[in-house]
Amino acid sequence: MQETLVTPTLSVLSRSSITMQDRSSTAGQASSTGPQPSRPSVIPPPSKSKGWKSGANVRRMRRIIAEDPEWSLAIVPLLTELCIQHIVENFQNNPILKQLLPEHQQKVLNHLSPDLPLTVTANLIDDENYWRRCCMQRWPVCHVARHGGSWKRLFFERHLENLIKHFIPSTTDPAVILDLLPFCKNYVRRLRVDQFLPPVQLPLQPWNGELSDSGSEAEMEQPTGDHYQLRDLVAGLSHLEELDLVYGVKDCGMNFEWNLFLFTYQDCHSLAATIKACHTLKTFRLTRSKVDDDKARILIRSLLDHPALEELDLSHNLIGDRGARAAAKLLSHSHLRVLTLANNQVRAPGAQSLAHALAHNTNLISLNLRLNCIEDEGGQALAHALQTNKCLTTLHLGGNELSEPTATLLSQVLTVNTTLTSINLSCNHIGLDGGKQLLEGMSDNKTLLEFDLRLSDVAQESEYLIGQALCANREAARQRALNPSHFMSPITAKGPENPNVTWV
Amino acid sequence: MNPPGSLGGLEEKEEEDLSTPILGPSIYSDNPQERIQARRLRIAARLEARRREALGEYLDGKKESEEDQSKSSKQKEESRLKLAKLLLCGTELVTNIQVATDIREIHRRVEEEEIKRQRLEKLENEVKTSQDKFDEITAKWEEGRQKRIPQDLWDVLSTQQVHCAALIEDKNKLISELQQELKTKDDQYVKDLKKQSDDICLLLERMEEQVKNVMKTFRQELSYIEKAFEIERQELLTSNKKKWERALQAHNAKELEYLMNRIKKVEDYEKQLNKQRIWDWEEYNMIKIKLEQDVQILEQQLQQMKATYQLNQEKLEYNFQVLKKRDEESTVIKSQQKRKINRLHDTLNNLRSKYAKQIKQFQEENQSLTSDYKRLVMQFKELQKAMRHFALIDDKQFREIWLMNEEEAKDLISRAFDVDRIIHTHHLGLPWMAPDFWFLRNVGPISQQQQKSATQILEEVLMQTEEEGTEEAASEAESYLDLPKQISAKTTRKILMLLCDESGFLIESKLLSLLLPLEKNECYLLKLDAIFSALGIESEDDLYKLVNFFLRYRVYHSPSSQEQTSLMSALEPGEKRDLEEQKEESLGEGEAEEKEHPSSPKLIHPNDVLKILEAFVMGLKKPRDSRTPVKLKHVRDDSKDSEYWEALTTVIPDTTQNLWDALYTALEKYHLILTQRAKLLIENNSLEQQNTELQMLLQQYLESKINSELQVPPTQVFRVPTK
Repeated sequence: MQETLVTPTLSVLSRSSITMQDRSSTAGQASSTGPQPSRPSVIPPPSKSKGWKSGANVRRMRRIIAEDPEWSLAIVPLLTELCIQHIVENFQNNPILKQLLPEHQQKVLNHLSPDLPLTVTANLIDDENYWRRCCMQRWPVCHVARHGGSWKRLFFERHLENLIKHFIPSTTDPAVILDLLPFCKNYVRRLRVDQFLPPVQLPLQPWNGELSDSGSEAEMEQPTGDHYQLRDLVAGLSHLEELDLVYGVKDCGMNFEWNLFLFTYQDCHSLAATIKACHTLKTFRLTRSKVDDDKARILIRSLLDHPALEELDLSHNLIGDRGARAAAKLLSHSHLRVLTLANNQVRAPGAQSLAHALAHNTNLISLNLRLNCIEDEGGQALAHALQTNKCLTTLHLGGNELSEPTATLLSQVLTVNTTLTSINLSCNHIGLDGGKQLLEGMSDNKTLLEFDLRLSDVAQESEYLIGQALCANREAARQRALNPSHFMSPITAKGPENPNVTWV
Repeated sequence: MNPPGSLGGLEEKEEEDLSTPILGPSIYSDNPQERIQARRLRIAARLEARRREALGEYLDGKKESEEDQSKSSKQKEESRLKLAKLLLCGTELVTNIQVATDIREIHRRVEEEEIKRQRLEKLENEVKTSQDKFDEITAKWEEGRQKRIPQDLWDVLSTQQVHCAALIEDKNKLISELQQELKTKDDQYVKDLKKQSDDICLLLERMEEQVKNVMKTFRQELSYIEKAFEIERQELLTSNKKKWERALQAHNAKELEYLMNRIKKVEDYEKQLNKQRIWDWEEYNMIKIKLEQDVQILEQQLQQMKATYQLNQEKLEYNFQVLKKRDEESTVIKSQQKRKINRLHDTLNNLRSKYAKQIKQFQEENQSLTSDYKRLVMQFKELQKAMRHFALIDDKQFREIWLMNEEEAKDLISRAFDVDRIIHTHHLGLPWMAPDFWFLRNVGPISQQQQKSATQILEEVLMQTEEEGTEEAASEAESYLDLPKQISAKTTRKILMLLCDESGFLIESKLLSLLLPLEKNECYLLKLDAIFSALGIESEDDLYKLVNFFLRYRVYHSPSSQEQTSLMSALEPGEKRDLEEQKEESLGEGEAEEKEHPSSPKLIHPNDVLKILEAFVMGLKKPRDSRTPVKLKHVRDDSKDSEYWEALTTVIPDTTQNLWDALYTALEKYHLILTQRAKLLIENNSLEQQNTELQMLLQQYLESKINSELQVPPTQVFRVPTK
């Protein structure tokens, strides 16, 4: 592609340089009349700017008119340069980019100001460099890797997130966000909003402050407190894949009030409708938002049989057994691959229903139940389910009050199961005997790569031995991962490159 | 990254956020180039080793690679393990904080639950007690209402007030307690916040430390690896240098040697060249002289050649002139010849036309002649037909006349014989023997008797053999008459049956199907008829020839049939004649011959039949060709006719005739006597008749009635003769 493009540009360059020289030789005329455009892409620059330039040139010429051996006509900027500069300066009013040659496009893009309105730039400019400059100007820290490596996507996603973050219902005009929709709908794939501001209630605030916190909660939240409704926005974003929401307020400091952190039923219903309508959604996260059983059920009901959903994260909420049961139902009615219910209030019954769903599930890869309270009953149920499950690879049961019986069953699972690669049992009461049993189970396992048993009352010796077994497994896994590449290398001849790509 | 020091409720999320980058790739991206380099090298080495293994030097390669690994690879492996360990430990160290927070949270939750439970219990107890107290107070209100005395009422009221105050006091106490708790909780919250910020700080510190550590160790390991590689390279370099130097020295020495050799050789060559040059010079001179001489000689020769050339040229010119003349002549001759050819062509054309005309003429002639010929042939055929017709009629007439005459003769003869017999028996009283002559039995013309057609004979033979079982002897005699040959009927029949069985292919299939319903004998007859017609056997003779041929063939061939067949085929035609002659000869001595050949045609093998038939047909062909026209004329020989008729006349011998003459005279005499006697007899008879008439008259008289009237009847007088 590049090679094919080089020759025309060269020829054009040479031609333009010749014309430039001609022009500069007749500089006086050129300054007065302006260059006649030989091609439609070249816009006649207004005589004003030209006049300054030419004037400077004339002055320069005058100044160095004496026999200066180093003087040459080349000092006069090329016409293309001038045109490009002009285009850059008037880009807002007259955006010309696509008609230019690739090289000139690059030049224009390099000189464009990052402050140009999005209405002009959004759908016109795809250049990463430009968007990089825009991003760097607005935000000091940018993780482009988190946005699929695209600066443009990063820009629009963060821009939209910012708008939503600072949207105050019934005060801010919703058009502020919706107007942006046509420009960003092709680029936004992920929405990560960690703040939803509540509607402002100025007269109530002092009153709120006077009263005790506990009392105000129940009275205040019902009539007001609904946050920004995402429905219209999400419906417009045709490529949205990830939705990461936190219904809360950041940096409230000493203005802390409980009703700042409210996820109302109205919010819940509208969110449920929104995610149901969004068929491209792959990841849905709703964390730290006081989602209780009922709200979780509403949300999960809307997610049943969702065509694309792969990851559901409802951690740091108030979900109990009923919510867990709903999640279990979702497991068998969707293609969910990752389910995170960390730091909730799931107890044994919820864990049992999850285990029941897990026993015959073939999609779920990761299950996180950290900081719940499923206890031994739930743990045993999950272990039983894992004896038949052939899909789950990661299981996090940290801080679940598990003890020896679960460990016994898990050790049996370890001997049978060949898909699990990571188990976390930290912060439980496994006990010395449980640790020994787990060690026995580990001795027959060849696939497990991670097994976290910290702070779970396991004897150091068995923990160390388990660590050794894990090391051996990791080494074996590394060999397995290398072998295919080794076997492929004679055939594809780019074998050595593949590991590089994967490892760096 | 979110800035630290956020709200306490979000803390754990923060922790996660902070902890994830450690595991993620971003931390590695600090110094990627070196790492990439190191890994690339390692991968290359590993792949190389693998490839070598794969290429077959499995064990050796492994050992070798282990040896090769000695420094750099070992170092790499060590570094890798160390780094992996470091990463693992670092991650653990960092995540330890999270785990610790988790467990603290769990403990907190447990404690909180306990405290909550206690508080609830306490509250319930308090509610109960306060309710009791309240009930008491309300009860006392009743009591108070009954009080009429103000002082009592006052007392009651004051006590009530005291009680209420106590109750309120209790409540207030509880509230203050709870508020105290709340305050402590607030403090706790602040503490927790602080703790969490500390934790976060610790986490950050650890992360940074980890990052630094990892970077440091990575750098260190990288430097180690580089060093190892450097050392290895140095070693390699030195070893290679040594090798190189050694090789160079050897090379130099060799070079020197070569140089010396070269110098020597060059000198040698120079000498040789000089020698060669001198020698060449001499030789050159010699050759030059010689060549000059040669040139002279050649010039002389050239002169000579030129002379001869001129001579030749003149000769050739003369020749050319002659040839030209000749050519002219030849052109004249040619034109003459051409004219001649033209003339000859004309004559040829004339002749051709004449020839064509003649051909036409002859064709016409030929046609007329052929038509004549055809006509003649037709006439001839008609003539033949007429002749045949007449012959037939003649034959018939002859036969009829013959038969008539013969009948007449035979009648006469039989009458003569009758007479003779009567004479013999009646008059002479001698026994009479009927004379038995061959001609008496003959019916019809003599010569025709012998020429029967083959089929007739067949019929006869078959019929005879049929009756054979009952009257063999008679048939034997009869057959001998019919077949006056040396072969018995039985033999013939057997041979014919064999022939019939074996040569079914000669019969048409249509005929075979027609034959199916017929009787066995008839069937055989018809089959044989068909076969004979196919073989060309028509007359009796042919049939007997065939039978005879069979028998002879068997006789010849029984000892060694194979030889004989060839022999037979070799001397076929001559043999045939002999056979026929033999047959003719053997007509008389048939019986004897037959005894010689024991008539058992079973000895003829069915497989031989075809060969025999073939031989026979081959033999039969020639005689048949000559015979067919003769057969048409068929002249009857009448040599025997006169004899026959003579014989018929002399059927009664002379002696008998003499006898008859004598007898005749005697009989004449006898007749005379007899006639006399007859006359006498007639006289006698008339006398007797007169007598009887007289007697009758007498009788009439006697018996008349007058007699009774008479005295003396006449009857009494005489004795009447009663009958």
